[in-house]
Amino acid sequence: MTVKGRWRLTVALGAAVALGLSACGLNEGSSSSSGSSADSSVLRIGTTTDVSNFNPLQSLSKTDSWILNAMYPHLLRIDENAKKAPELAKEYRYEDDGKTAVFVLRDDFKWTDGNPVVAEDVKFTAETIMKYKLGNVAAKLTWVESIEAPDATTVKFKLSQPYAPFAEGVGFWMSIVPKHVFEKAGDLSKFPNDSNWVGAGPFVLDSMTKGQRYVMKRNEHYPLAPGGKAAVGQVEYRIYPDVNTMMLALRNGDIDLMGTPVPVSAAKTFEGDSKIKMAQVGALGFAHLTYNMKNKHLADQEVRQALSMSVDTKAIISAVLQGDGQAMAGPISPIFSDYDNTELQPYPFDPAGAKAKLTAAGYKDTNNDGFFDDLKFGVACDQSNANITRVVQLFRESAAKAGIKLENECVERNTFLSRTKNGEYDIDASQWGVFDNPMDQLRSTYLSTNPGGINYNLLESPEMDALINDAAGTTDPAAFKTKIKNIDKVVHEQAYLTPLYVENFRFAYNASKFTGFAPSPSDLLGMVTAYSLAQVTPVK
Amino acid sequence: MARFVLSRALKAVLTVWIAITSTFFLLRLLPGDPTTLMVEGDMTPEMQAALLKTYGLDRPLWEQYVSYLRELIQGNLGISFRQIQPVTDIIIDRLPWTLLLAGSAFVITIAVGIPIGVSAAVHRGKWLDRALQALGIGGHALFVPSVAMLLLVFLGAQLGWFPIGGAIDPDTRGAAAYLSLAHHLVLPVLSLVLVQLGPYALTLRTNMIEVLGEDYIRAAQARGLSARRRVWKHGLHNAILPALTLMGLQLGTLVGGAVLTETVFAYPGVGRLIYEAVGQQDYPVLQGAFIMLAVTVVVANALTDMLYAVLNPRIRL
Repeated sequence: MTVKGRWRLTVALGAAVALGLSACGLNEGSSSSSGSSADSSVLRIGTTTDVSNFNPLQSLSKTDSWILNAMYPHLLRIDENAKKAPELAKEYRYEDDGKTAVFVLRDDFKWTDGNPVVAEDVKFTAETIMKYKLGNVAAKLTWVESIEAPDATTVKFKLSQPYAPFAEGVGFWMSIVPKHVFEKAGDLSKFPNDSNWVGAGPFVLDSMTKGQRYVMKRNEHYPLAPGGKAAVGQVEYRIYPDVNTMMLALRNGDIDLMGTPVPVSAAKTFEGDSKIKMAQVGALGFAHLTYNMKNKHLADQEVRQALSMSVDTKAIISAVLQGDGQAMAGPISPIFSDYDNTELQPYPFDPAGAKAKLTAAGYKDTNNDGFFDDLKFGVACDQSNANITRVVQLFRESAAKAGIKLENECVERNTFLSRTKNGEYDIDASQWGVFDNPMDQLRSTYLSTNPGGINYNLLESPEMDALINDAAGTTDPAAFKTKIKNIDKVVHEQAYLTPLYVENFRFAYNASKFTGFAPSPSDLLGMVTAYSLAQVTPVK
Repeated sequence: MARFVLSRALKAVLTVWIAITSTFFLLRLLPGDPTTLMVEGDMTPEMQAALLKTYGLDRPLWEQYVSYLRELIQGNLGISFRQIQPVTDIIIDRLPWTLLLAGSAFVITIAVGIPIGVSAAVHRGKWLDRALQALGIGGHALFVPSVAMLLLVFLGAQLGWFPIGGAIDPDTRGAAAYLSLAHHLVLPVLSLVLVQLGPYALTLRTNMIEVLGEDYIRAAQARGLSARRRVWKHGLHNAILPALTLMGLQLGTLVGGAVLTETVFAYPGVGRLIYEAVGQQDYPVLQGAFIMLAVTVVVANALTDMLYAVLNPRIRL
């Protein structure tokens, strides 16, 4: 081959590769989907990642749940005040001294293939979850001995023992799937459910372009929407892994709502934009410092109380959340107003008092370096959580004034979670995600059997176990509330944890195009619950 | 030639095997396991154990490794922990986008880099040369996501010339789809090219200056060859060879850069898949993606080597 020939071959090869590549790309991009996004009744929502699992019985991902919850109904939903409200179930009650939970279903929910949503669907869903131990709902069904569906609108869960928030937990977390579709799929622990979707929520997936968008079509029959169907014709989820890019996309009109909250630091970005509005919602979790009781000094109540007195929560809320958060006293978020023990007073920020308390308890500073000899602790946190990392810095500075030396042990997320799981920390600084009811929270965080794996105190207290188990079996609402408030008090006195704040979340949307969102607390649900999407109307 | 191709192929296979093995063990050295991330749900230890069993993660490491290799030889990259889908399908969905992005950036860098490098060498010390030196040093200092975000803010949001994220408007068809594809490709490619171009053109310039001082170039001048022919034919042919090797090596950086670029530009390639899979400790997807990328880079390097041999008649194989 001549030199000229070689060059020609090279150029030809290069051109062929480039053309081949672009053809590949285009085929993938136009693989599916219909409908025009210019249509004013298409609501485009920014999400951060692809759907990883379309099977609602299995999926544990927050962003998956945004899409799946709009397709598969739940027995109960959570309203703006964090109270359970009817969804598929119009009411629930306990019978047989709390050992039977009865849900009465609405009779006007329909699957998109025309079949009605019936009690058998609920029974099938719960039994499948129990059989394959699927997702986190399996733990909520621990007490179930059998399930009956005596008629199309009644489901009875027979329990081995009364558990006060059983109906709330199962009602809220369990997605109901169509029995006539799912039972044909065989082993449901391996069922991907990634095409031909049949749902009964306000929107059902119609098509997707992986890596780019998910298109959901309106269910023409959704009884919880005003007018019997959602006013928005189509919902599109578009993927922006980077929150800054998502904010630009909202400003640019490429999307109408951000599914993820706007970070506090970026809230001012939208201030000058007349079209963009921010909806503020509360949280179902809270940030906290939790003390490892296996540490001999942290097992001392005096030390834990002194640490609680060394945390300047006001300064933290002001510096970390720019004032946009709520302080707490006990372990129950004020959003659960029925259970939050308002008689409790937060520990005052008083480092000098804390120091005096520790001196009185016998702790010494023999080398006069300003720190008590034995009181050196590591504070573990997930360094990808900027707020908590900042909290740890502030805590470290304020605790030093009380003579307690803290080491910042904020590490990469997986390492942090692994250490938390294995109890390898002195103090855990983190944020609870979503607690839908205080009883489940107290069970998960303080029961010695550590049922949710989040007893970060590693507490093994027979007294606390007895209090929790007693409350859990109490079905009289008034007595139940009193018992929860009493546990609040004990946790507060023991200072098992120092609650830091309840964060407010801000969701940004284009108010010039859509209105009527009915947000729920937490960033898990926010603006994109089935109920909320069903209430949205395009601005004319 | 056949011996050269064979030995190059063997080396490539060995490199890929090392990549596979190190990826396999490195991922498992990460603290925690895929259930760690699910711990915040109400998951009992029994459920976690059941999940680990489903994933085969309860078996000894060497057993997992042997079974992984056995499956791999049959072309099976495993099933994603999170997506319950074959990893091969997931990656094949994404790979064309990364190849398009990295490939376009590669071609443009060469296409633009050559004339700039050559002109800078010919007009040494002039404004183009000085600008190139600044760009070359700047390119080394630039961080891809920062460049990407700047481009997105100014050219995308402020001026509105380019879309914010995505790879194509899925509603377009035919020629409009190709246009939309190109439109979405501009900013991600530009951010990669800006980072790569300077160092590449600078290397070419240095080689070119050296070559232009060679005796045979002066001899060509003495024979009365035009300046254009001297530079572009005799000079460039020799100066481009080291630059080609550099480009082959930089392909790895380009693919690595695509991970970050794809995240900022919401581009649906393998890079973003990796970003998502890391967050979920989805070992099979991560392994599969790394292996695919390693294979891509190794194959591209092997091709570069062979191309080098084809372009350089002095190399007798």
